[in-house]
Amino acid sequence: MAKYMLLLYNSPVSGQPVSPEEMQKSLEKYMAWTKKPFTIDSKRLANDAGRVIRPSAGGPRTTDGPYSETKELLGGYYTIEAESYEDAVALTLDHPHLEYGGTIEVRHVYGS
Amino acid sequence: MTDPADGPVLLEHLFRHQAGRMTARLTRLLGPAHVDLAEESVQEAMLRALQTWPYQGMPDNAAGWLFRVAHHSAIDVIRRTRTFGAKTDAIVDDLTRSAKVAPADPYLDEQLRDDELRMILMCCHPEIPRDASVALSLKTIGGFSVREIARAFLSEESTIAQRIVRAKRQIRDRRLTLELPGASDLERRLDSVLDVVYLMFNEGYAAHEGEELIRRDLCLEALRLGLLIAASSMAAPRVHALVALMALQAARLEARVDEAGELVLLDHQDRRRWDDELLAIGFHHFDRAIAGPVVTEYHVQAAIAATHARGATPHSVDWPLILQLYDQLLAINASPIVALNRAVAVSRVHGAAQALPLLEPLAADPKLRHYHLLLAVRGHLLQELGRPADAADCFRAALDCACSEPERRFLRRKIAGCV
Repeated sequence: MAKYMLLLYNSPVSGQPVSPEEMQKSLEKYMAWTKKPFTIDSKRLANDAGRVIRPSAGGPRTTDGPYSETKELLGGYYTIEAESYEDAVALTLDHPHLEYGGTIEVRHVYGS
Repeated sequence: MTDPADGPVLLEHLFRHQAGRMTARLTRLLGPAHVDLAEESVQEAMLRALQTWPYQGMPDNAAGWLFRVAHHSAIDVIRRTRTFGAKTDAIVDDLTRSAKVAPADPYLDEQLRDDELRMILMCCHPEIPRDASVALSLKTIGGFSVREIARAFLSEESTIAQRIVRAKRQIRDRRLTLELPGASDLERRLDSVLDVVYLMFNEGYAAHEGEELIRRDLCLEALRLGLLIAASSMAAPRVHALVALMALQAARLEARVDEAGELVLLDHQDRRRWDDELLAIGFHHFDRAIAGPVVTEYHVQAAIAATHARGATPHSVDWPLILQLYDQLLAINASPIVALNRAVAVSRVHGAAQALPLLEPLAADPKLRHYHLLLAVRGHLLQELGRPADAADCFRAALDCACSEPERRFLRRKIAGCV
């Protein structure tokens, strides 16, 4: 079994207010997915895009995150176990994040 | 056996119900003019739960977590925007104290119920138009979104949103407070609340349109508010009467539609599908309603619902009693709709021939001229009198009126049965 990282990017803010009932329903779906046996770790990243450090002629420079409002923001990640990359992708296809407009990047973690 | 871990992790409607309670609590702390901020803070807390829990797991006390985060979200906004000017520190202190209340505190539940009660009284203030009160109550206390309310009422979202804005403006302009009314004002305020709750219930119950599920939730929310008032110091026989009426009618909600989604009339309902728990609540409050000397419209309506509910089979329903009750109801509220229902009771007691002439004056009423149920009842009576061709004409005319899809299919089946 190899490990794969699922990087979950949040969809750009739609601005559409969602009802408590709808939020609970979507939360239930996320929680159910998290409980699947092949997920071994998950972490959430802060909402704030943070800052980015880049090299420059005068040495490293920190700037505000590269993300404008319309770009997707990395919201968190899961680590899952799967037989192959294709298997990892197949396991991810029913993730509720996709249903709610987010995107997921699947990456193989070397050495695992 | 299913693994409990596969089921939902939260109590059904937890977010919706907590939204109402938290909005009530925050509005009490922030003041009625800031109900928007209260709602936004609650929304923010739920959004954060949605962003965090799937990765971090559920907190031990989900409701307590939301409660705390909503408070802190409000504090952040107040600090950042300085909306409260010189009062900022005092309000922040209040919020901080409230956020610290231990979820296990036995007084918390009581306090939150008190917050909700005050909120209902304010949202249903007689100075606010009734339709606006219904929308505002559903949004702030019920935790329904504008879209859900619009779906239930088959209205445009913008219409519902406007009503809510109108209600909030009244609250600000008239400086309505969350104070409980004094003895001199209590009757008028209570009547207004009961009016709104009854209207809310009927919006959910009466129409066979809109989405079935959400309308059911609406009925149950109206019942919940009724029960909240019935359990408070404001309880009065007419409050119990309204609760009884709502519970007894809500008990039949499921049975009104069959598996295929087709309309089932009371006579043909499978009584085993009536909700026993709601029936029990209904009868319990009905007993308490008749303890007082005053008979209100709610009392009579509850008595009618109770009489239907008591019949073990459609044939054992005490129609002479129902007719008496409709006579009584007509004396209190001489509406043509009540008269129409009374005519149905007359047909059950004295036969269709006696009932038919009662419909004539109703047909002349401009409000009822294009009412599909009047034509449907007329068609039904004509059918019983052995006049299928005339009956079919009536059902066809009913089809030309505004009615829902299940009602249309029902009428078409009736027309087919006339040949």
